[in-house]
Amino acid sequence: MNDIEFVVKKGEMLGIIGPNGSGKTTLLKCIARSIDPEGAIIVLGRSSKEYTNEEYAKIVSSMLPNWPNGFSMKSYEVVLMGCRNRACSLWWERDEDIKLVEEILNLMGIYHLSNRDFDTLSSGEQRKILIAKSLAQKTDIILLDEPVAYLDLKHKIEVMDILKALTQLGKTVIISIHEIELACSYCDKILVLNRGKIIAYGRPRDVINEDLLREVYGIEAIVKWEGDGPIIIPKTKKLKNEVVMCLK
Amino acid sequence: MLGVIKRRKIRLIVYISFLFILLFTAFLSSLMIGAYPLSPIEVINALISPSNDAGSIIVNNYRVPRALLAIVTGFSLGMAGGVIQSLTRNPLADPYITGMSSGAALGAAIAFIAPLNIFMIPFFAFAGGLSSILLTMFLARKSRAGPIGFILAGIAVGTIFSAVLMFILVIAAERAHGILYWIYGSFSTSNWNKFQVILPIVIPSFIFLLINARDLNILLLGEEHASQLGINAKRLWNLMLLVSSLSVSTCVAFSGIIGFIGLVAPHMVRLIVSSDNRFVLPLAGLTGAFLLLVSDNIVKSPFNPIGEIPVGVITSMMGAPFFIYLLLRRGERYHI
Repeated sequence: MNDIEFVVKKGEMLGIIGPNGSGKTTLLKCIARSIDPEGAIIVLGRSSKEYTNEEYAKIVSSMLPNWPNGFSMKSYEVVLMGCRNRACSLWWERDEDIKLVEEILNLMGIYHLSNRDFDTLSSGEQRKILIAKSLAQKTDIILLDEPVAYLDLKHKIEVMDILKALTQLGKTVIISIHEIELACSYCDKILVLNRGKIIAYGRPRDVINEDLLREVYGIEAIVKWEGDGPIIIPKTKKLKNEVVMCLK
Repeated sequence: MLGVIKRRKIRLIVYISFLFILLFTAFLSSLMIGAYPLSPIEVINALISPSNDAGSIIVNNYRVPRALLAIVTGFSLGMAGGVIQSLTRNPLADPYITGMSSGAALGAAIAFIAPLNIFMIPFFAFAGGLSSILLTMFLARKSRAGPIGFILAGIAVGTIFSAVLMFILVIAAERAHGILYWIYGSFSTSNWNKFQVILPIVIPSFIFLLINARDLNILLLGEEHASQLGINAKRLWNLMLLVSSLSVSTCVAFSGIIGFIGLVAPHMVRLIVSSDNRFVLPLAGLTGAFLLLVSDNIVKSPFNPIGEIPVGVITSMMGAPFFIYLLLRRGERYHI
């Protein structure tokens, strides 16, 4: 990635969009300190490199890919791990942490999953449990890699509603997302990446247009704005002759 | 959920109490069992008022340190097995399979033959055990074959260390006879001296491992996730490996290589109770202690027709079928 420079303000929700392999996850990993970038990432006035793991976990929580697997652990135990960043007790979680986790699971409509083995959940359910774990960290900055992927429409909207509500509490939310319409409806700013570079950055209405879709995704589409969100309609539905020839 | 967690805490206390009772029973019977069988009254008398008669000397000078050594060694193997399985996220790992025991035995044998002071033996055993586990980890990472790579590397490293050990034993043929017996695991030469050397090393190790049981759960999520939850994952990983190999190596130095306790004990806890390391570590320790003490009781029982055999033979005979059971019954989807 090159020449990446942007500022996210407190209480803002930033949606990072771009084609597969454009660098969305890499950017999030840099902010989460999973990858050590050459430049500097300033978090609350200090370089991210200056923080210890413990300090950073109190400010930034994240849900990144490469999920853990291969162990049997109850879902609520995974969410409870989020409270580790402010652990006062050595061995057992505090009652108030357990109550917080209960509230988060209820809020996200996944309380019924709490006693299930994490490994037996569907991808969408695992994703929601890991989002709940990030929320249990109670940090001011939340990084989520494709939080709504694998979810049905109802749950996509529920997750985005929760994230939006968090920004109203003054928390900063940075997500990578493929659903452009959804991103534009909820995010204050959109950052468009392609091949490791920033193509556009700004308010959704200023950023998302037909030229951008052509440049970044290589598609011809009509973009219509309805309220806060765009509707993207592919211009032509071309029948791929190669497919017909190959698979007939 | 609060209720569920409270019930789990109560269950932990119940299981610990139950295992303590079992262990205490096995301990008392171990004081009675031996070439010179004693009645419960004789044992209690010997414990309460030590005297110079044969029964009292046997109990206080030989059987008590022997039973305590078996308990500490079993606890150490069981707990270290649970730790290593979690650190490597590999259900098949244990101090024996990862080559740690062979390395420790080699180190201890060198110290034995040299011959060095008894207090130097644990350090040599530790150096041997640590170098073998580090070599195993290095090879496993290089192979990029995941859990299978770890097991194969462990077997290879264990075999190399065992071969070097055998070579040394052949060269030092005159001194080797006693050592050979010891290598296959035996408590027959236990005494208070050995116990005094082991205790100051293993007790702090146990405390350290138990304190970090909760963070060990988080390490199961992987280094990246653990770091994001505020843990210095690399340092904790290294420290836990170091401490568990220290406690295992010290025990191996005095009791020889005892297989399968480190594998079987943590799995029994996971199958019956929970995979949470706050349960696995203490309960696997107690289960390991109980299994090893019972095995030692079988070994020294006067009804044993062939006389005293290495305790490692009994633990392997109990452990290997369990290993096969794990492989066949739960191999498809078995997790830490």
